[in-house]
Amino acid sequence: MKQSANNPLNSKKERKNLYTGLAFLAPTLVIFTTFILFPVFFSFFLSFHKWNMFSANKSFIGLSNYIKLFSDPEFWRVLKHTVIYTFGTVPLNMLFALLVAIVLNQKIAGKKFLRTAFFTPVIISPVAAALIWRWIYDPNLGLLNYFTGLLGIPAINWLNDPSAAMFAIIIMGVWKTFGINMVLFSAGLQAIPDSYYEAADIDGASTWSKFRHITLPMLSPTTFFIMIMSMISSFQVFDIVYVLTSGGPLGSTKVMVFYMYEKAFKFFEMGYASAVAYIFFAILAALCLLQVKYMRTKIYEVT
Amino acid sequence: MYKEKIVVILIISLLLLNIDCGQNTKQRKEDGKVTITFWHSFVASTIPALKDLIKEFEKEHPNINIKAQYVPSGDALIQKLITAIQSNTAPDISWIHSHFLPDLVDAKAIYNMEEFVNGKNGLSEQTYNNIYEPLIQYASLRDTLYSIPMEATNLAFLYNKKMFREVDLDDSKAPQNWGQLRKYAKLLTKDKDNNGEYDQMGLFLPIYPASGSLSGWMVWQWFPFLWQAGGHIVSKDQSHVLYNSTAGVKALNLWKDIYNELDLEKFTSDYDIAFASERLSMAMDGPWNLPRYNRLLKDLDWTFAPLPEGPEKKATIVGGEYLVIFKQSDYPDEAWSFIKWIIQPEVQAKWAMKSGYLPVRRDVEKVPEFKEYLKNNPNFKVFIDQMEFAQVQRKIDYHGLQITRHIAQAIEEATLGGEDPQVTLDRAAKKSNALLQSVPKNEK
Amino acid sequence: MISNNSSRYFNISKKVLMHVIIYALAIVTVAPFIWMLLTSVKGMEEIFTYPPKWIPSEIHLENYKEAFQAAPFGHYYLNSLAVAITVTIGQLITCSLAAYAFARLEFWGRDVLFYIFLGTMMIPYQVTMIPSFMVLHWLGWVDTYKALIVPGLASAFGTFLLRQFFLTIPKELEEAAYIDGCSRFKVLWRIIIPLSKPALASLGIFTFMAAFNNFMWPLIVTNSEALRTVPLGLAIFRDRYLTDWDLLMAGSVTATLPILIVFFFAQKYFIKGITLSGIKG
Repeated sequence: MKQSANNPLNSKKERKNLYTGLAFLAPTLVIFTTFILFPVFFSFFLSFHKWNMFSANKSFIGLSNYIKLFSDPEFWRVLKHTVIYTFGTVPLNMLFALLVAIVLNQKIAGKKFLRTAFFTPVIISPVAAALIWRWIYDPNLGLLNYFTGLLGIPAINWLNDPSAAMFAIIIMGVWKTFGINMVLFSAGLQAIPDSYYEAADIDGASTWSKFRHITLPMLSPTTFFIMIMSMISSFQVFDIVYVLTSGGPLGSTKVMVFYMYEKAFKFFEMGYASAVAYIFFAILAALCLLQVKYMRTKIYEVT
Repeated sequence: MYKEKIVVILIISLLLLNIDCGQNTKQRKEDGKVTITFWHSFVASTIPALKDLIKEFEKEHPNINIKAQYVPSGDALIQKLITAIQSNTAPDISWIHSHFLPDLVDAKAIYNMEEFVNGKNGLSEQTYNNIYEPLIQYASLRDTLYSIPMEATNLAFLYNKKMFREVDLDDSKAPQNWGQLRKYAKLLTKDKDNNGEYDQMGLFLPIYPASGSLSGWMVWQWFPFLWQAGGHIVSKDQSHVLYNSTAGVKALNLWKDIYNELDLEKFTSDYDIAFASERLSMAMDGPWNLPRYNRLLKDLDWTFAPLPEGPEKKATIVGGEYLVIFKQSDYPDEAWSFIKWIIQPEVQAKWAMKSGYLPVRRDVEKVPEFKEYLKNNPNFKVFIDQMEFAQVQRKIDYHGLQITRHIAQAIEEATLGGEDPQVTLDRAAKKSNALLQSVPKNEK
Repeated sequence: MISNNSSRYFNISKKVLMHVIIYALAIVTVAPFIWMLLTSVKGMEEIFTYPPKWIPSEIHLENYKEAFQAAPFGHYYLNSLAVAITVTIGQLITCSLAAYAFARLEFWGRDVLFYIFLGTMMIPYQVTMIPSFMVLHWLGWVDTYKALIVPGLASAFGTFLLRQFFLTIPKELEEAAYIDGCSRFKVLWRIIIPLSKPALASLGIFTFMAAFNNFMWPLIVTNSEALRTVPLGLAIFRDRYLTDWDLLMAGSVTATLPILIVFFFAQKYFIKGITLSGIKG
């Protein structure tokens, strides 16, 4: 490639910077390109093909997969479920995580126990967690109906009721993942220098105003990270749905990745599944960009 | 700067080189012996029987080693098969479900079993004809045999005799027809503590999410009812489906009526636990659960019986697991000799007695030990006797997975969803027919 | 005087209330695990009783004996630990380096590269699984420890996490070091890393958990019994025992409890983190 006069790489300093950057990135780049980037592009390639994964030949079919996808009413339903799950889980998850992290940042008895308790769900293997939750939700022998029964609430078949199943999934989703965000918030809280609070104390600031004017702004890079990551991971919810309801009853908990997984590994339509993945990517990326934009204005606001 | 680069390079090389400690599993020939890898997903209670079986084979064939490897079942099995084929690490023999056949065949991954059956070391016509016909159908695809059944199963009726006596029913007789089935189910359903919710359920119907791993199991159990009403799944020429016929609607209506009358929507899907804890009186189940039930239900008065008879005829469904030989195998002939050995009457008899599966051929009943065993195990005998009216199913040759899913959706929508069976079945049939019509004519 | 007293009273009651709420929440969170633990030593009859019975009348430790007989959990543990520890250490190194580049170095194409990193996280893993497997096959790594470890050595999540944290560290701390003639790498090693202990510890524990609990990847890349990990063992266990709850729970506890204990004792390392580094004073 001919180098134009305004190519930034022309200057020696720029080139040196690039080399330094690449040197730091090298280990990651090697593995990343091989095991993540290549597969990601390969599945993009697949999204224009018909391939059942068993056979050696893939036939090119252009945009057919994408066209088929947009005309499948199930795709839209699945997208709706995914959005409901995400907006049901992320706020609850972050609220709990922040609350617990703040309390654990105070003087409180038995911190070690508490931290372990809140992190337990993260540690339990998903296979084991599913087993136990299926049981908790059992309509006849389950713990949940036992406790709601004590309060006089009639029994609900949590996993078999189209209006209750998504709720059951969200509860387990929050339970299983909020420990991760708690740890992240804790790390973020600890990074806030005490001197800020001491100064505020001298000014006679209330607890709320300290939270509003010190904790929240100082935490915003962490919050930003958690928000993006929670969005991505709840958009990609799969395990919980797979083991608890398998998308049922009546398809009421079928989410995007489950739909994609089903196309790939139940019906062996790998090309179609890849197309789903890319549409899904576009939606998710758009949502995240919105977040980034919103957060950026927020961060500027407080600084 | 240079120091930094050296450190980075060191790290990469450490990461990439220092963890070379895996081993290759494709070494097969050790001291002149051939090792055959065999993938399966048998449940825990079957493993000892499998070990005995293999030991015996190896004793008779000192030059062959069978390496049986457990692979988690269902989706995990299919994922392993796909990746194994892609990476040339397929086993010699694998245990598969019948609906994997179309893709394995299309990928040219497995042998046409007829090459072996008709080959030098083949099967006699008598042997072949002794294998139950429905099994041969499942083991084939579009009239070509691609696998050999290893064991058979079918569906029978399980009930709690004590609960029958409690409502003054003859405990030696299961419901004989659809009318009785519905009546008994209602009779055996009770609200003992009068809280408005049933705490004893008369009959369990397998209504599972259509998209779940159990949906095939649901449809499998519904087929006998379709046949009992005189229906078929698909037309002979495979051009359209027939499950939405009057027979299909009758069968689904029966399920729907029972489902509503018993309020099954509120009942657990862990029917075996419910049966074991005496909250359930009747269910349908297969013989593979017999060893478990003998242990789990030891304090209960229970028995198996044939399925009730439908308005048109008696019918049950046959299942089984099928052995395929992969083209990637280095020793297909040795793999075949294992398969051939396993379907001998004496071996089948032993395997059946130890594992609780049914033999794949009729003449096993002539083996003396097996005769004796049937006398002492009336529950097992129920399944063997049922093989006589097991249906030769017209198999769905094209888009079988999708069509099964359509039927599952129709069942779920009619029961849990409360829709009209005729409507849900017609909707499903429309989708299925569209698929069947898209199959190129010359392929059929 | 009076107002001072009442405010102290108010403070104490607030403290008590806080304790009550947080402990109640903790108990609810941990209840499923306790239930699992208690069920694992129950006899089959007691599992079926309704209303549910928390405390078993008899302790059935033989459930564990049977669990260990059915699957070599000891061996699975060694495999899982070896894989999880290597992946964790590797990822901490690669992610710190990459995150530093994204947070502090300015070079051509940095932001584009960073957005590609972020973007890949949005492609569901299930669809890239088969192509990744094909890469492993080309490398001839199927059914080796390398297959379990190497793909996990880089992570977009980890890079993103550390980058966010590095951004919060004041630049002035580094500038002093540059004046003293430190190289970029030394700055990362001597200044950034020590300041980032809480973030590194968090990443460490997440990576460890994810690697330890990963099910799908070990399932498809290994065939040999010798390479099986704990989650695989547990899944096999679940397949084999269907609804034998006593055994299933014994297997689940076996797969969970050791990690829980490690977490309980290891947490101090990442909780102390920053207070030791001196930034707070």
